[in-house]
Amino acid sequence: MVEEEHPARLKSVSKRTAATGFLGPATLVVTVMLAAPLLLLLRFSLNRFDIKELMIETVTAENYLRFFTDPFYLGVLRTTVLVAVTSTVLCLLFGLPLAYRLARSQSRWKSLCMLAIVLPLFVGSTVRMVGWMILFAHGGMLDSAVRWVNGVGLEVMYTPFAVVAGIVSINLPYVVLTIQSAIETIDIRIEEAAQSLGAPPGRQFWLVVWPLALPGTAIAGILCFILAMNAYATPYLLGGPRFQMMAPLLYWEFSTNNNWPFASALALILMSTTLVLTACSNLLIPRRYRA
Amino acid sequence: MNVRRNLAGVLALCAVAMIFLPLLLTFYLSVFDETLIVFPPHGYTLRWYARIWPEFGAALRTSFFAALAAVAVSLLIGVPAGIGLARYRFRGRDAVATMLLAPLTVPGIAIGLGIFVLAVLIEEHTEWAISGSLALMVAAHVLITTPWVVRLCLASLANHDAAAEEAAASLGARPLAVLWRVTLPAMRSGIVAGGLFAFIVSFENLEMTLFLTAPGMTTLPIAVLQYLQYHIDPLVAAIAVAQVVFVGGALMLLDRHVKLAQVVA
Repeated sequence: MVEEEHPARLKSVSKRTAATGFLGPATLVVTVMLAAPLLLLLRFSLNRFDIKELMIETVTAENYLRFFTDPFYLGVLRTTVLVAVTSTVLCLLFGLPLAYRLARSQSRWKSLCMLAIVLPLFVGSTVRMVGWMILFAHGGMLDSAVRWVNGVGLEVMYTPFAVVAGIVSINLPYVVLTIQSAIETIDIRIEEAAQSLGAPPGRQFWLVVWPLALPGTAIAGILCFILAMNAYATPYLLGGPRFQMMAPLLYWEFSTNNNWPFASALALILMSTTLVLTACSNLLIPRRYRA
Repeated sequence: MNVRRNLAGVLALCAVAMIFLPLLLTFYLSVFDETLIVFPPHGYTLRWYARIWPEFGAALRTSFFAALAAVAVSLLIGVPAGIGLARYRFRGRDAVATMLLAPLTVPGIAIGLGIFVLAVLIEEHTEWAISGSLALMVAAHVLITTPWVVRLCLASLANHDAAAEEAAASLGARPLAVLWRVTLPAMRSGIVAGGLFAFIVSFENLEMTLFLTAPGMTTLPIAVLQYLQYHIDPLVAAIAVAQVVFVGGALMLLDRHVKLAQVVA
């Protein structure tokens, strides 16, 4: 008996060492790089800003009070959340059918199509914004085309519509790829079974594929929402100076006003709003379908 | 039913248009012979392409090397983490998994500010000049690239039966041999996808990197943003085209060795 127990225990000890060796470095790096900065932001957000000395060490809630009592800042937060929710809904609406088609495609061009979806990601969001700028700008394509048709131009630049369009186009590749990989793991024979039992395509999709694809779709939606809450370049370039979202506001407080305490508070408010709303989105998914 | 099918088709087309329309317009703009966006242009030229390197060469180099370094480090720590999560069951495993994926859920603009502030604080207390250094930028990028590597490696092993490794071990293969000859080959597509996405995430990151640049060391997205602040001309469009051609070519080459459709899926 003793001889049998010993190797087993030895094995479990070496397994634990192996697991630590495999997971230790990454966990250490991520924990330190993530927790230390966020804890510091929390501390700084309780400090006071002074125009001469910049930051006075103290413990006060005034940065948070300033945010939550000023309609301007609350408006910025509301705009940010509205833009993020709208673009997430649109991304899922457009992305799901495309992802489904890609996942179920047997075409020999599939590889090339996937490549085409990945490619824009490499180009980067800032550079891709230029395309929308030519379309929307004053004297740009849309403006000129509409003016040519009915004599009056169309100003889309610096509107919420332009910002949402920009964010949707930037996030769509991520959404499509995430949902596509989720659908890819669903056994096609399940769909074929539904079909052979007489389900029309609509029912096949909603009763069979959709519940199975829901966890992947939720991940895609959450990813898209977080990216949109965080958007800097799009509101900055397509929204113009008067369209305020949290990320540009935060950077402006930091770089132009040098108000680190308030910028820290903004960072934490943005972060907690994102986390809370992400957690709430889980409630939208019926319990039996949750991952 | 047919209507519903058509609706799905229309939505999929919308998605394609939203992704590719701005890119196509960018291609078109890159040959405009105008210094402002005027439509239609008076003529066409290729001169913008000649100005890419003088204007953005330094930023491109910084972006490229920072991304390469971030990919290398995050593969080095992320691949083992993926294996660890897939192959070991222990108390606190869920907590470790959540922690490793957490950087994906925190807005980059918040982490960026936090890392910058931390660097300044460390600088005040020690002699290390780390704020505005390439090392700090790479370290920060590693934070956001590692979750992608872990996630994709974990996914690639989830579909792979651990029995193959046990069989190799029972046939007398040493643990390192099992790792090298069974586990790693099985997760090849996950590693390639992880490296690819890590590169993308680092190369195009703007929100976090905003806080980490220094005079003479900016990344491409930030250089482009600063450029666009003062002039909207076809030069930026030319960069997009050059990137598409370059990256597209690289991906095609890669596709010969690893089927990208499988990698990304």
